Order: sequence, then C-alpha cells, then structure tokens
Amino acid sequence: MIEENLNNQDRFLKTVKEAIKASPGGYRKNREELFSRLSQSTIDSRLKKIQNRTRADQLKLLDLLMEQAEPINLRVMPVKNLQSASESIKELILDKNPEWGTVKKVAAWKHPLIDKLSLGDALAKYDIPVYQSELKSTDDLPAGKQMIREQIFESFVGITAADFCIAQTASLVMKSHPNQARAVSLVPSIHVAVIELNQIIENLGEFYFLQKWDPIQKKEGLTNCMTLISGPSKTGDIELIMVHGAHGPCELHLFVITGET
Amino acid sequence: MTTISTEHYKNKAKEAIKDDVLQSALAGLQNRLGPATAAMYKNLPEGDELRYKAHEVRMFALDNLDMLLEQLAQKIRQRGGNVFFARDQKEAVNYCLEITRRRKAKLAVKGKSMVSEEIGLNDALIKDGVKAVETDLGEYIVQLAGEHPSHIIAPAIHKTRNQIGSLFEEKLGISYTNDPPTLTKAARKHLRDAFLTADIGFSGCNLACAETGHITTLSNEGNIRLATTLPKVHVAIMGMERIVASLEDHDALFRLLSRGAAAQNLAGYVSYIGGPALDSEIDGPEEFHLVILDNGRSKILADEEFKEILCCIRCAACLNVCPVYGKIGGHSYGCTYTGPIGAVLTPLMTDIGQSKDLFQGESLCGACQDNCPVNINLPRMLLALRAKTAEGDPRWNIKPSSPVEKFIFSIWSKLISNRKAYDFFFRLARFGQKILPTKNGEIRKLPPPFSGWTLDRDMQQIASKSFIQKWKETQK
Repeated sequence: MIEENLNNQDRFLKTVKEAIKASPGGYRKNREELFSRLSQSTIDSRLKKIQNRTRADQLKLLDLLMEQAEPINLRVMPVKNLQSASESIKELILDKNPEWGTVKKVAAWKHPLIDKLSLGDALAKYDIPVYQSELKSTDDLPAGKQMIREQIFESFVGITAADFCIAQTASLVMKSHPNQARAVSLVPSIHVAVIELNQIIENLGEFYFLQKWDPIQKKEGLTNCMTLISGPSKTGDIELIMVHGAHGPCELHLFVITGET
Repeated sequence: MTTISTEHYKNKAKEAIKDDVLQSALAGLQNRLGPATAAMYKNLPEGDELRYKAHEVRMFALDNLDMLLEQLAQKIRQRGGNVFFARDQKEAVNYCLEITRRRKAKLAVKGKSMVSEEIGLNDALIKDGVKAVETDLGEYIVQLAGEHPSHIIAPAIHKTRNQIGSLFEEKLGISYTNDPPTLTKAARKHLRDAFLTADIGFSGCNLACAETGHITTLSNEGNIRLATTLPKVHVAIMGMERIVASLEDHDALFRLLSRGAAAQNLAGYVSYIGGPALDSEIDGPEEFHLVILDNGRSKILADEEFKEILCCIRCAACLNVCPVYGKIGGHSYGCTYTGPIGAVLTPLMTDIGQSKDLFQGESLCGACQDNCPVNINLPRMLLALRAKTAEGDPRWNIKPSSPVEKFIFSIWSKLISNRKAYDFFFRLARFGQKILPTKNGEIRKLPPPFSGWTLDRDMQQIASKSFIQKWKETQK
C-alpha cells in the first residue's frame, strides 16, 4: 500500500508542477530557498532580548495577558508562590461542583511544577482523589493507558502546566509529552493551568520565532501535537450568541506563580 | 450537495427573500459579524498591510506548491503518519472507507470540515454502515435537521433558536426551550458519549505548515480537539492548496483568519498535528492519516486568471458582508461553497456553464474583497467568469452564449460607435417607450427579448433630453 501511495504522490505532484508551469507567478523558488531564513546576528539579538527580560518586563507581560484574557473568559490569577497556588486550587476544587454526577475527582499531569503543588495530599482529607497521568514502564501499556483515560473521563477538574503562555492572544501552549495526557486539558469540565511568570512571552510572532530559532525549542520541535488554548470552549452557533462550554472545558483558570516573597 | 441549476437558484432565492425567519437570521449576521470583522482589521497594528502581506504569502505557497506538499508528506511519514494523495473525491472517499473497514469502525466523530462536505464523506460512511456524527454545534444541528450547512463557519445560521428548540425537542427528547445555553448544553451532553466511544475521528485542515510538517486545525468549541485526540484513528482531509511554507507565516494568517471568521484575536483552539501519538504518550490517536485532495484544484492552479482563488483560507468573511448572500442565504447557491467565494470557486470546480447564475447573481460591489483577510480580488474573477460565458472557452468547456444575445450585442456595439445612429436610436426609443406600462415614472415591463430585465425590477425611463442636449442649451 505504501508503494502504491508513493506512485499516487508522484503522479499527483507532477500534475501540480505542470499547473504551476502553465501559470507562472513571480514567487517560484529553488528547493533550498523555500523557507525563510534570518542572519545569525539577527537571531542572537532577538533571542537575547527575549531571554534578558527583567522581572519588571515580565510583570508588564502579565498585565497584558490579564487584559487580553478577560474578554475571552480566561481567568488569570497571579499567586506569590507554589504554596498559595496549591491553596487556591484546593479552594477552587472544594467550591465547584461536578457537571456530570456527584463525586469529585481530579486529574493532573505528571509534571515537576504540578508535583510540587502536592495537591494529592491537600485533597486527601476531603476524599477527593487526584489521578496523576503517569505510565509506569512496568505497566502493561494498553491497559495502563486505558485506566488513565477512564480516570480522566471521571474527573471534573483537570490540572496541567504549559510550555509557554502568549500574552497578546492569551494563549497557553502545550506540546505533547509523555505522561502529560492531552485529555486532561480537554475532557474535564474545568481546566486549571499553572505556569511561572517567566513562561510568558509577548505575542505569536515571538512564539514562532522561538520555535524556529531557539536551539532548545528547535531541537524539541513542535512535537506530534501542539495545541494553543485561548480561553474555555465556546460557541456562537445558535444565533451568534456566545455560550461557554460547548464541548471542551466550561471554565479555564490560569495560575501564574510570580515568585514574590 | 450538488443541486446547482438556474431553476434551483431562482426558486430558492425567491423563497429565501420571502422567508422572514431567514431574513432576520441573515440580518443578524450582516449587522453584527460583518461590521465586527471589518473593525478588527482596522485595529491590527500593521493595518491593511497585513492583508497584502498575507496575500503574498499565499501566492508564494501556490507557486511552490509541489515542493511544499512533498516536504509536508515526507515529514509526516517520518513521524509514522500516512499520507495519501487523492486526485478526486472518489479516491479520497475510497481511501477513508478502506480505513474504516480495516478498523471495523462503527462510529465516527467529525470535526467541522468543508472539504468533507465537498467529497460527500458523510453519505459514503453512512452507506458503508458507519455512523458519522457531526460534532460542531452548528453542523450537528444541520445534520439533525437533515439539511446541509448554509454558511462556511456558522452552518446553522439560517435557523432561529425557536426552530432549534423544536428540533432538539423532537430529536433529542428534551423539553422545549429556546435558551441558547440550555440548547448548547443538551448537545454537549448528547455528543459527549460519541466522543468517548468513537472508533475514528475525521477533521479538515485549516492551513498546513510545510517547514515543520504539520497540519493545523482551528476551533472554538473544542470539538475538533476531542475528535482528533480520543479516537484511536485520526483522518485529516485537506484541499491541496491549504498550506504555507514557513512557520512564521502562520502569525499573520491565523490572526487574520480568526478576525475574518469570528472577529477574534485567535481561535480558542489551534492544534498542530504532525503524526500519531508516540507509544510513550498516554493518549492521542495511534494511527494518523492525511488525505491531500486535488478535485479540480490543479486545473484552477494552471489558469493565470483564476489561480488567485486558491489563496482562500475559508473564513467566510466575504459571506458576512455580501449583499446578495445576505438576502438569498447559503442554500440558494445549491453547493458546498456559497457566497462570493462560492460564486467563483464552485463554477471552477464543477461546471461554469451550469453554475453561471452564481457569479451572475453577485453584485460586483467589492465588499467581499475589502473584507477578505487575504485580499482576494473576487470582483475581478466574477467579471472574468462572466466574460468566459459570453465569449466561450474550450479549456473550461464553455460554449459562447446564445447567438441571439451575441447578435444583439454586435448591433449595440455598432450603434454606440456611430454618433448619428446612436442619437437616432434614442430618439426612437424615447418615443417608443411611451407605449410601455409605467409606474411612478418607471417602466414596469420591457418587451421580449428584454423582458427578463424587468421581471423583478422597474427600469428608469429614458430622459426626455440627453445630457448633451441640456448642456448645449445652457451654453446658448
């Protein structure tokens, strides 16, 4: 089947090439000139500008984020440290009610920042389980995946970190990583995300620049599935009236750890 | 959905204009979303420049399309994904059915995709014993009602909340309500089971990135993310032109697309998908297929006059400001792609002669181009299509228009190139028009072969004195 597909491809691309020849525009390039390039000095200076932001700069970005988040119903809560983040998330979980059924369960990523919140301990005395999405190497993989999947389906709150947060569009960026189930930010009715102040960048342009030119990001790539999430799920499909909670989470709470002492 | 004919267009348009419910729904679209998108462009830091730049980015992609598609396919295969190049809708549908059969799929969930409408995927799946559930709220409503989408991004815009309330009462067995949040919640509840148990998820593709080798999907509801995350198989279908070269091209295009489509800064969910999930990941599809579809696009690409239409990113901004779409609604067009974009694209993808009413019906007011995020010159192409039907074109299989029309125009061209004959003709016409029925000083009916012109409108009488005559009199 693969060979057949490749034949298909050759025939298909030949047709496309002939079509381009028949109506030449002004933009045809050689293969090696197809993708935009920047000089090393431009890259270095822009990278430096982003990486050398001061705390005051980052706080300005937080302000921008909060301003942009409001109209799209993304609730941003700056908190001083991990402990107060943990406290606030606990309060939120106690305060909210499950959308489906009555039992409160929580799903969370296995992630260094989330681990430090120790939510499992904080919620144990309320009998609210916090399921971590972690595949143990000793597990029977399909069975392990199925179990975590079901735990996420039963949870009414999903807790994740993020790779970046883009201030101008109020977007959380999540690349796909092991032990960070995609469904945690998607299936539970309430999505809670936790980031640190220095993860905020300015705008989409800056984000794409980093993906393309920052050595660390470049090495990682966009992964097999990268998602930008800007606010909770919404729809305007009935008479253009905005309703939150179409199919994804009805609420999105973002805790930003500012690191103030 | 192919019911394109002059009969259909005229009858449906007439019905639509008399349909008060539809008129108020369309007015909502035109009075709110249309102006809102226009205002959003003005607030861009780059202003209109960004639209011109986006146009260039899209033209660049078209001029290098073969190489970009090759790179996209290669990168996706490297990550363990499958890529299939389909020349027409039959090949695309057959490939999809091969997958559902092999996986013994019973239930498919679909993210909103115009290209799947184009190839008639739903009908094919259902015929093959696969239950295909549309998950975008608007598409879901339209599917429940047994209809087709009437708008590219607001598929159920032709329905009022009362109609949707009755529909849900009948089909979902809930008690009647016309409250949009309650109705949305009812659909949410019904579709949740489908998402959690579906065997396969289908999606379209908004704009692939060749450089990194990813397709992208945009949504606000989260339905596309669910449909492409929870089932074990994800099949994405993309029109072959929906790609850009470099990653940062998405900066301008997604900002523009979100503004044009929904007056937003950025769609709620933007996903880059480059292959199936890794074994070490907990979820995500274990199988990923990308179907790249030609279906008439390469023929358009080969035509200098029309290749620009392939810049379109399907935001529907042109529909929201079009005075014709705003009155006759999407169903009058009788095809998947409606409004100004459909009036150019549909004839080129199907049959120009058969669908000539679509472009002859548009008003050439230019609002579509002004509101287009990638600044496509739709009015120019509407005119070019009209010229093709008049003069004929073997490449597009169009014969010149009727000999009678041609004869009349040849007389007209002689007449207007001879001053004396022209003046004489108008003296005659000025005299002759007195026998025609009038109302409020306007002619109600012209005699054949011109009677079609006054079928739905009155015509101004020829003034008793021409401008030149009056001018001469003032000079005396």
